[in-house]
Amino acid sequence: MSTSPTSLQNNQVKDVDTLIEAFERLGYVTDRALATSVYLVIRLRKPFLIEGHAGLGKTEVAKVLAAMLGTRLIRLQCYEGLDVSSAVYEWNYQKQLLAIKIQEKTQQAVEEKEKHIFGKEFLLARPLLQSILEESASPVLLIDEIDRADEAFEAFLLELLSDFQISVPEMGTIKAKHIPYVILTSNRTRELSDALKRRCLYHWIDYPSVEKELKIVRARLPGVEEELSRQVVRFVQAARQLDLAKPPGVTETLDCALSVMSLGKHKLDIQTVEETLGCVTKSMEDTAKLRASGIERLLS
Amino acid sequence: MPQEEPDRSAASIIEFCQFARTQGLFVGIHQTIAAIEATQSIGDVDRQVFTFTLRTALTSSKEEWDLFDQLFEAFWDRSQRRPGPGSGEPKEGKISTRRPKAGPRTFGSLSSAEGEGKAVTGASAQQRIQKMDFSNIGHNDLAALEQVSLRLFRRMSLRLSRKRKIRNLADRVDVRRTIRQSIPRGGDPIVLAFQGRKPQKHRLVIFLDISGSMNPYSLFLVRFAFALQKYFKRVDSFLFSTDVVEITDVLRTRDLPDALRGLSQRAAGWAGGTKIGESLSDFNRQYGRKLLSTNTIFIILSDGWDTGEPEMLAAQLHRTRRRVQKLIWLNPLLGLKEYKPITRGMSAALPYVDVFAPAHNLESLLALERFL
Repeated sequence: MSTSPTSLQNNQVKDVDTLIEAFERLGYVTDRALATSVYLVIRLRKPFLIEGHAGLGKTEVAKVLAAMLGTRLIRLQCYEGLDVSSAVYEWNYQKQLLAIKIQEKTQQAVEEKEKHIFGKEFLLARPLLQSILEESASPVLLIDEIDRADEAFEAFLLELLSDFQISVPEMGTIKAKHIPYVILTSNRTRELSDALKRRCLYHWIDYPSVEKELKIVRARLPGVEEELSRQVVRFVQAARQLDLAKPPGVTETLDCALSVMSLGKHKLDIQTVEETLGCVTKSMEDTAKLRASGIERLLS
Repeated sequence: MPQEEPDRSAASIIEFCQFARTQGLFVGIHQTIAAIEATQSIGDVDRQVFTFTLRTALTSSKEEWDLFDQLFEAFWDRSQRRPGPGSGEPKEGKISTRRPKAGPRTFGSLSSAEGEGKAVTGASAQQRIQKMDFSNIGHNDLAALEQVSLRLFRRMSLRLSRKRKIRNLADRVDVRRTIRQSIPRGGDPIVLAFQGRKPQKHRLVIFLDISGSMNPYSLFLVRFAFALQKYFKRVDSFLFSTDVVEITDVLRTRDLPDALRGLSQRAAGWAGGTKIGESLSDFNRQYGRKLLSTNTIFIILSDGWDTGEPEMLAAQLHRTRRRVQKLIWLNPLLGLKEYKPITRGMSAALPYVDVFAPAHNLESLLALERFL
């Protein structure tokens, strides 16, 4: 991956504008505020917390950053009940059992046997440990939707983020050779602990302006017609003002434009909106609300 | 806006951090250091990027993020008369919209008692909370009461989560961990590992009556819902009088005053009167499938003065009851000694209610713990 022409070494990212350009080459339209934050993440190696509504490209930041630096992206998707054995490491029990059986007839001392079955080859590295074991260069560690994990996990993460080391009781402490770039995203379904937030650089991603959204649509869907992209963006921007339970994000804008194109249409009229409404609103209540407020009005 | 170049020395950044602290930004020594490191590593940049740099280093929530630009302007635009550390007087009208936080996670202190919520009783009362500013409730000791209730609600939720863990200790043998522990002993499972049942988390649905007759209580009960929602993961809250309005998202904001403002907007255009049965029917139709399950505890907060048909109420309660684990009816009037639940609505409802309890004061609300 490091040979790809778009990738930059981290010392090649000289300033914020270089970063904006590099991101745009990779199809991610960004503004100076976000670029500043990302630039500081590269420079200061501090964890980066991005909050914002769904579908605004939070996860994408990590992916593009990894692509830009030409390093590996390691992703940890959080969920309720996420525990150490699925986030950090686990021993490969079956393999250990087999090894014990194989060793049964040998004359090795017990200590030696034990040392063998707790070796590296029996360790299943999960995302957090993987990010520390990385040999060649700093990977990008994406901890996605941290607000879904429970608080105990957050506390564990705190420890990892300050020392970048993990201790496995049977093996000892493993320290990171290359400190990963850590990106955390949250949808704000609950407050994160203060201690964690204080450790991170912070960025709030808001809905984009009309111009920025147009730029995004054009960057992501190169084949889109000028007029259509304008209509779709205007429509979605109007829909965001409606106090919906789930306001449409940029993902929805792209989906909507793409489905209109796939239907072979060149214009967004009432009928087309009706056909592609499922791209914009994601629940029955929201759909009803959108209809009630008059699709015609939203289009104009 | 004067585009004067701000002074970017470490000293002035420290000064700015102190100023921000007095204005409600939670800036610790770590943030200050991060801010200085950040400005140093970003080098010579224009004012805009300088702002972004400080913002990403010093804020850590959306509230702080939104507040930051004002603070930045206030501090650096008055370079002639910059506030010294600690003196931090907000520019009139500019940042005074947001008071500095008194402390983390308190109910907003609502000590000012300027207007009185008009107390109207009777199910026929019209226009209950139309645009009425909730935070103007004129009880002098309301702030104190809120502080206490917040603490107690919080303790209650902690106790609840502990109770769950203890109850679900050992259940069945965890084969995987047993084998794992047997490895040092040559594969003989001498020590058994147990697996607890995953703690069952209940979903709470709060159904709050805001009709005229409930007026003396409903404002406080909204706070109760707010507190529950803060400490329990899955709570959905609804207001009803003749209509049902979901307020889960409104209550999810961090500040109570914000939440109350949101509520007064959402509830605009309501007419008083209570139709519990019809409201419940609306609820069942719109949200029932999504929210009601054998894992749900359904809490109705109402005095049971119903202008609708009791048959309707009974039928809807029956329907709800069949789908949930527990149906709790909290009635503020139950606190009165002479009260008997003999109104038509209430007596129709009682057969379907698992727990019928008072809700007229803090104590009675806290007693709810037993049923959750």
